[in-house]
Amino acid sequence: MAKYPFLEEASVYIRETKFTIDELDRPEMDHIVNRAINILETEVNFGKVYSGLERYEIEILRFLVSLLIVKSLDLEPITRKHSLFEAIRAEKFLTDDLVREKSIQKKKLLLHKIFRDLFKIEIDVSSGSNLLRLSISDYLIRATKMNEQEWKLVNRSVNSGYVYLDPDEAVRLIRSELSNMIYQRIKNMKIKVMPSKIKICTMDLRIKFSSHIDYRYQKPVNEYPPCIKHAILLMSKGENLPHSARLMLATYMLALGKKIDEIVYMYKNAPDYNEKITRYQVEHLAGKKGSRTIYSVPSCAKLLSENLCFATADCKNIVNPLQFGRNSKIQL
Amino acid sequence: MNLIRNNLNITFLKDLFRRYYFSRSNSISVPSEIQKREFGYMHFDYTMVRHLSYSNRGELIATLVKDTPLDVFCSNATYKFPANSLESKGWEGADLIFDLDLKDLNMSCTSDHSYYVCNQCSTCYENSVTVCSSCSDRNLSCVSIPCLKCMNALRDETEQLIELLKIDFGISEKNIETYFSGNAGFHIHIIDSPFNDLDSIARSDIIDYLSGNGLLPESIGVRKSKNDFYIKFPKSGISFGWRKRIATDLGINSLSISKFAKIVETSGGYNKFKGELDKRARNLGVLVDPQVTRDVHRIFRLPGTINGKSSLIKARSTDIDTFKPYESACVLEDEEVFVKSKLPLKVSLKGRHFRIRNSIERLPAYAAAYLISKRLADIVR
Repeated sequence: MAKYPFLEEASVYIRETKFTIDELDRPEMDHIVNRAINILETEVNFGKVYSGLERYEIEILRFLVSLLIVKSLDLEPITRKHSLFEAIRAEKFLTDDLVREKSIQKKKLLLHKIFRDLFKIEIDVSSGSNLLRLSISDYLIRATKMNEQEWKLVNRSVNSGYVYLDPDEAVRLIRSELSNMIYQRIKNMKIKVMPSKIKICTMDLRIKFSSHIDYRYQKPVNEYPPCIKHAILLMSKGENLPHSARLMLATYMLALGKKIDEIVYMYKNAPDYNEKITRYQVEHLAGKKGSRTIYSVPSCAKLLSENLCFATADCKNIVNPLQFGRNSKIQL
Repeated sequence: MNLIRNNLNITFLKDLFRRYYFSRSNSISVPSEIQKREFGYMHFDYTMVRHLSYSNRGELIATLVKDTPLDVFCSNATYKFPANSLESKGWEGADLIFDLDLKDLNMSCTSDHSYYVCNQCSTCYENSVTVCSSCSDRNLSCVSIPCLKCMNALRDETEQLIELLKIDFGISEKNIETYFSGNAGFHIHIIDSPFNDLDSIARSDIIDYLSGNGLLPESIGVRKSKNDFYIKFPKSGISFGWRKRIATDLGINSLSISKFAKIVETSGGYNKFKGELDKRARNLGVLVDPQVTRDVHRIFRLPGTINGKSSLIKARSTDIDTFKPYESACVLEDEEVFVKSKLPLKVSLKGRHFRIRNSIERLPAYAAAYLISKRLADIVR
């Protein structure tokens, strides 16, 4: 439970101890609150995942306090970042547990707890090896959200309807789902009165994080990367952009925060333009239709493999089109 | 688009089609959950009607007999409200379908049995032309009468696809339905599978898998390094899927590290080997139409209905090895009629070989309908 404080067992533990969040104002809770603050600062200021682990009584409450602080901060980038970093933290513990655990039964139990109970993925230990296997459809639903080419099905060990993965690969596969689950928990929290201690630390953190947030998330991208420029140019000429280029353009514009209407309008010159279909597809990518998954912008490596990359010297050291132009801003 | 403009031709075909739908309706195979499917028609005037729905088979057949369309389509998807517009249909899932088309095989003999028909005046040409000499129109369609070699190549490609689906995707034979499209292709329908929930992007990944597109050297153990490359097989081994396919093709296994290194070195290092890997994957992969499989809102030709491009039906093949598409799919009547062929042609249908001169000929109705649908002949009354 210390490693995986998002499991149902952790919620049961809190309910059974009859803990209420008012108790956080008690002095003996300082250690837990301070630990939650440290973890958030490590994540936001240094971009690092906090790996230390205490006993489960502490970690369960620390997890709860972290969510409360993030909720109270009410800064979208921090909410997303913390959700992701909590997921990565759990991912590391889970990989270690799966690699170290010798008992097949215990390994299966752990897999079921995380994969089946949380995400309804049937995953099994392959007989005679340390590999895990899951159905191709379960794999594809998740792997197609990853931008790296190594996750394409063609690059996987596939047999009889199953994909065979190392423990670390299997765990990596659920990172975004775990992150989304934590994100939703924060969003769905309804707290009538925040404990004073949380209010105070929130004010303090808001000041500490402000410069970072301003730079990182609120500055507009003044110049589009060459891949996006190229796609816009072709679109304006009425050329038929391939599906992958349309996906790149839409996910990029969505990530910039453009409105659905504006994005749909960008496709008006496409030879096969149909407003209804385009709107449906953009809304699908934005997670508002269909599977409700928010699609991310493909990585530079993926775009290169799809012949959509038109890199210039300004693209040096970036791995995703969204990073274009950010390095120069740091130097300024 | 293949346009039949002659009213006599349309009347002849429509009568034949109607009689088929009236007397042979048991040949039409409707998918499961018919009430959740979207249907569509292409009428003889080439207007397309979509967003139709039927609550049962009888209702569908009655419409086919009454309206007698040129082509009949049905969605691979199931919807809560199939007759609504696309955004309010309530998509529930879609069968996984693959389309293997002869034109994608780039057969060397294609030009030997391809003809060019003017879309304006229907004049036919044996060789490729860009302008119709009769009416100066530039809009010409290419029609083909596939030869035995073409159909055998298509059959081989289809068999290869079925094997991949069975071995790699674990799809049981009873869930794989194979159909001759009625013209120059095969459709593979995967029914009751866990793939029904997949979106277009996941289906694109399946297409890439089948064609071997995007295969990385790293996935079979060739990794980039400062000294160009080194061999380290993946932890999940090279015993399955594309890894096995390539390993077998290269003659290596998980123990032959030095042999593999030699192969990569001989091919010219990491980058050159990557190029060679692409070529091998293309040769070993299956060419399916990516647009068809990716589209989760598509309407497909309904099995057992007539293909307006050929007057042959979309026919089920239960054994691809022994299946004879131009016999099984040729179901229209035998009664003889007169046609005027626009070119000398050779056609084999229902086990009979027809050598047609550029003149008025007496042919069974099914053969006449085939040529008229391809716009290579006109009915003579």
